[in-house]
Amino acid sequence: MAIRTIVRLTPAKPKAGETFKLQVVAQHPNEPGTRKDAEGKTIPANYINLVEIYFEGEKVAEARPGPSTSANPLYGFMFKAEKAGTFTVKLKDLSGDTGEGTTKLELA
Amino acid sequence: MNRRAFLRTTGVALGALALSGVPALAQGLEGEDLANLEKALKEVLGKSFKDLTPSNLIKLTMPAIAESGANVPAEVEVNLPPGQVKAIHLFADKNPTPYLVGFMPMKALPYYATRVRLAETSAIRAVVETADGKLLLASASTRVTVGGCG
Repeated sequence: MAIRTIVRLTPAKPKAGETFKLQVVAQHPNEPGTRKDAEGKTIPANYINLVEIYFEGEKVAEARPGPSTSANPLYGFMFKAEKAGTFTVKLKDLSGDTGEGTTKLELA
Repeated sequence: MNRRAFLRTTGVALGALALSGVPALAQGLEGEDLANLEKALKEVLGKSFKDLTPSNLIKLTMPAIAESGANVPAEVEVNLPPGQVKAIHLFADKNPTPYLVGFMPMKALPYYATRVRLAETSAIRAVVETADGKLLLASASTRVTVGGCG
């Protein structure tokens, strides 16, 4: 099952040379492996442990979140606007599910 | 130098000393657990808490009080040129797994924002690995009313 991934830029159209934020929100329960269900059994851990950002096919940033990330997590990154192109965000969780989201960077 | 000028200059120097650095030292932070943190530091970085240098180049933004420990916003910004920062790590002293996240800004600016779970009131550490192998530290503390790890 694919993880639903939303990618957004703030500001949406940065000027050349300006810094902008790339925000990623994923729809994922991010089970830390310490929570228990109604019968007292431990819910197995299943969290996103790899976030990769690609710009025009080149890897520009990587984050490795641990189990203590909240449900439906947000990941924020900051870049400097140089040229227009496409950002691709790839996510992976412990069960092997992947998520992918893209957004276009346009310069104002 | 006469007595008055001497007093004035030393007074200014002492004042500057009191303003810089001292609050960044990990002293009297609420929810400190160095034994738990030490284990995670050994595992992730192979270093102990003593090897970290407190620095005011790192800006770690955490709320003073979090309503829910399940969703606490955390933000780190490092005031260094982009090429200088190799990795940013976040730790929470009191969590069952203290390691929150590791971030490698390759072409990105040294900034990372996320939302984390905190089990209870805890001290948060931001550890920055620089290109020349130094480890910089910034600490903050968040009070949690409802825990988020169980």
